[in-house]
Amino acid sequence: MGQQSLTEHLRGRTYWRSLEQLADSPELAASMEREFPGYEPGDLLSMTRRGFMKVMAASMALAGLTLSGCRRWPQSQVHPFAYRPEGAAPGVPNYYATMMELGGVATGLLAKSYDGRPIKLEGNSLHPYSLGASDAYAQASVLSLYDPDRSRTPLEKQQGKNQQRDWDTFLRYAQDHFGDLKASGGRGVAILTRSASGPTFVRLRELFHKTFPSATWHVWEPINLDNTIAGANLAFGQPLRTHYDFTKAQVIACFDADPLGSHPAHQRYARDWATLRRSVDQGTMSRLYAAESNLSITGGVADHRLAVRPSRVTALLAAVAAEVGLADISVELSPEEKAFVASLAKDLKSHPGASAVIVGPAQPPEVHALAHALNQHLGNNTKTVHYTDEILALDGGCAGSIKSLADAIASGGVSTLVVLGGNPAYDAPADLAFADLLAKVEHTIHLSEYYNETSLLCRWHLPEAHYLEAWGDGRAWDGAVSTQQPLILPLFNGKSTIELLAALIGRPAAGYDLVRETLSANAKGDFESAWRQLLEMGVLPASTLPAVQVGQARPTPLPAAIKTTPDQLEAVFTPDASMYDGRFANNGWLQEMPDPMSKLTWDNAALISKADADRLGLPTSGGMVRLEIAGRSLDIATFILPGVAPGSVILPLGYGRTAAGNVGDNVGFNTYALRTLAALDFAPAKITKIDGSYLLAATQEHHLIDEVGASGRDERIGQPNKSGSIIHEATLAEYQADKHLFHRDDHGNIKLQLWEPPSSFNDPHAWGMAVDMTACIGCNACAVACQAENNVPVVGKEQVSKNREMHWLRVDRYFKGAPDDPSPQVIHLPMFCMHCENAPCESVCPVAATTHDAEGLNVMVYNRCIGTRYCSNNCPYKVRHFNYFDFHATDPRGSAQPWLDIPDTQQRTAIDQIRQMVYNPEVTVRMRGVMEKCTYCVQRLSAAKIHAKVDFANGKRESELVQDGEVVTACQSACPTEAIVFGNLNDPHSRVSRLHANARAYGMLDEPLNTRPRTKHLAIVRNPATPAGAADDGGHA
Amino acid sequence: MHAGQLGMDCRYCHNTVEKAGFAAIPPTQTCMNCHAHIRTTSERLAPVRDSYATGKSIDWVKVHDLADYVYFNHSAHLAKGVGCVSCHGRIDKMDVVHNDQPLTMGWCLECHRAPEKHLRPRDQITNMTWDPLAETGKTQLQLGLELKKQYNIHDSAYMTSCSTCHR
Repeated sequence: MGQQSLTEHLRGRTYWRSLEQLADSPELAASMEREFPGYEPGDLLSMTRRGFMKVMAASMALAGLTLSGCRRWPQSQVHPFAYRPEGAAPGVPNYYATMMELGGVATGLLAKSYDGRPIKLEGNSLHPYSLGASDAYAQASVLSLYDPDRSRTPLEKQQGKNQQRDWDTFLRYAQDHFGDLKASGGRGVAILTRSASGPTFVRLRELFHKTFPSATWHVWEPINLDNTIAGANLAFGQPLRTHYDFTKAQVIACFDADPLGSHPAHQRYARDWATLRRSVDQGTMSRLYAAESNLSITGGVADHRLAVRPSRVTALLAAVAAEVGLADISVELSPEEKAFVASLAKDLKSHPGASAVIVGPAQPPEVHALAHALNQHLGNNTKTVHYTDEILALDGGCAGSIKSLADAIASGGVSTLVVLGGNPAYDAPADLAFADLLAKVEHTIHLSEYYNETSLLCRWHLPEAHYLEAWGDGRAWDGAVSTQQPLILPLFNGKSTIELLAALIGRPAAGYDLVRETLSANAKGDFESAWRQLLEMGVLPASTLPAVQVGQARPTPLPAAIKTTPDQLEAVFTPDASMYDGRFANNGWLQEMPDPMSKLTWDNAALISKADADRLGLPTSGGMVRLEIAGRSLDIATFILPGVAPGSVILPLGYGRTAAGNVGDNVGFNTYALRTLAALDFAPAKITKIDGSYLLAATQEHHLIDEVGASGRDERIGQPNKSGSIIHEATLAEYQADKHLFHRDDHGNIKLQLWEPPSSFNDPHAWGMAVDMTACIGCNACAVACQAENNVPVVGKEQVSKNREMHWLRVDRYFKGAPDDPSPQVIHLPMFCMHCENAPCESVCPVAATTHDAEGLNVMVYNRCIGTRYCSNNCPYKVRHFNYFDFHATDPRGSAQPWLDIPDTQQRTAIDQIRQMVYNPEVTVRMRGVMEKCTYCVQRLSAAKIHAKVDFANGKRESELVQDGEVVTACQSACPTEAIVFGNLNDPHSRVSRLHANARAYGMLDEPLNTRPRTKHLAIVRNPATPAGAADDGGHA
Repeated sequence: MHAGQLGMDCRYCHNTVEKAGFAAIPPTQTCMNCHAHIRTTSERLAPVRDSYATGKSIDWVKVHDLADYVYFNHSAHLAKGVGCVSCHGRIDKMDVVHNDQPLTMGWCLECHRAPEKHLRPRDQITNMTWDPLAETGKTQLQLGLELKKQYNIHDSAYMTSCSTCHR
């Protein structure tokens, strides 16, 4: 097919990944025709003589090693335990329940310990807010544990120079210093912490107050719940925490809210939400409305999404209130807004007690108060919405708290400041100039995992233990208490927040004892058995917060509308999907994780709408602008993200760190520079285009799946493919009307085999996978879980920009809609090796490095691979990845020609011993020059099969067959919505078999190419309301 | 010595072999169960006593050392009736343990293609001198084929799949 018809084909496309693709850019078309865009053969030939000698020297050294003995590799040693702990067997992993706290909310985890090293985290299925799932932050946190850049020793500044100290020296100093302060009740002492809710932390905070009654306690969390808590306070006169029940909410209305993505309870909410989406097979679905400025995870899966500037949300919600009869307000709305409000109000009215109105944390308290009133008016309280005490509430919120600290320092009232975790010099509101304030305090003590921006300015820096190294506790969103059980002794001599607090109070104790002391004080009955049970399960029974009955929500006046001038956009500060607030900046897995929507890696950017970019004359990606808010300015690269509301500019936080570590330094733009107390959430910003451009490494156009072949086939047989071979999609009404909708285009007569169909798939196990795109929210938990499980390397920004990211699992994000549509539909398509039975990769490999095993896995034999990359060329799904370099041995941010500096992996010495510790020993670490791809977690399969065989041989089970649910792949395990299901296709009762039989299931590109993929996707069904005037809307419950 | 003259079962020391991938080198504790009483002054056992006293590992040399990319699992082989002697040779006759077999992939595959040549009843796994003809009156091949069926051992297509041993 020639360029001409390719162009025509693209022009008519429904689904697109980037505006370039939609606009049919010749560069992109050319890039798709090349299998390895970014690959310049000259790169490899341009090696200098010196570089060549270096590499050769390494090879010769290796050769010498080989010849010196009669073995193929150096002699190795075994170091067994002198005393083996009870229950430990080398090479047999154990799992321990623990938790990770983020923003004061804990999520239960199970940590896999391999020979004493935690190497992988899973959700704790007994934890109410994990339910077995986890998120990208939790998955990646194990990499931070082994980050060689973590701080390793206490440091004390003397005359501006750091002196290494040991903990004893610090503790002596603390004892003297705080001992002296006791007399004055701690006058002049201030503590600044992150949000934390653990019972031990709270107990020590109270003890601290008792010991130092005049000391002040401050909390700063850049991503906080100030507005949400203040909103409840406005409505009910007390700070309350709102809980939603998405298993009952048939209509969900999100106003700048992201309950499935950035909400502290997002894992639970996503699971619950998915139950009423997956019910599509029973003919009912909930309906999700979202009005928002940023394109959030929730907005991406909404049935109706309205892109609005954040300040518009007030008016919209007021209009909904008016429409459902709560308030008598008249608001002027645009036609789109009017349609959105009318449809939403109609649904809300017809579902009394079965809806939920949710307002996001960036909206002012008054808007939250209105949502509370609305939920009450709609009869949702105690049904889909209930309230508990807010355990994170504090007077004035985080903003007020850090403001009062700044004021006290400025007035000279603070002589001792203890910063427990956190990084206020980087993330405090810019107008407080916190970095300057630190210099005014005589005694500054900073506990932190990294020697970061704040540590630089403090007198004492103390290394903080990672959560997998220290005892602690925390509370889930519903208040359930979890223990933070360490898996390993502190690698870098760190101590936890509670240990330091205890020391400051003058009662130094180990974290273990502190936690036990807290919990035993509240225990009823036998504490030891309760403690053992708690450690085993990870959750303290009956520790959830009791529901609070609320009175009538008080009416509150609405905030005045924000006025913007034409050269202004509303700047919106959001947590970043990778960096959160910046604390994960030195985590390579998260840096390289493509943003769920923009698909940006290794950078943030000012995300703007196409309309605004066109007006300003900005390119799709990497144009530079100057943003100004109240006299502060920031030069930042822009990126057009379809779906961002015209009139707003989204500024993800957490980048532009300068003291994060080797990975995170100087990555992206520090948007905190614009974030002031008056503009913590959103504010009008002046935007001007400036000269220059910036390379942004977005993966949205990488691994494009070529539909050209499919369209050619359709032309030949005269039956144009109606639903698209990659994405199958319909509305609930359409699906109800025709259950065979997704198989309409099956032709059935072209299944000609190139070879005899493989006959050896009659093994009792035939592995397969199903991915339900109706449930997928695109959160990336699976992608990072895969990276952690399978030793997938980080390649760095430069290599990503050459299409060389190695992720075995990527989530392709497609848009559907016209380029000027302010809110195109979003489709998330998780892509990994499909394990085709007729695998195109296998037929082109000259050395049989990729073959089939008896159970239907397409296996990759690294040692046979000679790197022709033919397989990748012939893979229609573009899921194979080539190791252009020895990525494991190179620093992802290192030199552009890493092979010149880093010797081969086989020598091993180049890989940091600490970095090595995170590897999963069950998975081969791949070297340069070989292909790799998803293996269906073959190591987990083998483990389950061997386990079944051994137990069967010992009479412990009835069958050697692996039963349904005994093998869970890493991606499946992490998925909050259970969108990924893996199992045995030869077992007709397995979940995956039933899903493959579902009318929504289709083998992607199977129809045109007859690849017979073992992974099937389940079509997306959405549930939009039928437009006014049309017939009643489908099967909506 | 231990397995030969003393007739100790392999599993007394390598006690994880039936349930784990590794037939773990025993902890010093296990050595000292006997050597706290036997040859307590032997020069050659000094490292064992040191380890027991200090809690530091004994630096054992790994004799049967497979490549890192192959995932041999002891428990799976034992469950299917492969005896220790098939891979490790007559440990009972060795003064110092050495590689009896080549432990190459080709050698592994010989057995994976025709396991009947090596199978034995599970209760004879650690027996170094087991003789099928003397014990059961059947040739190894006869018995092996019977056991192959009885133990549900896969066909050679399955047994020689790459993913059987490599991950």
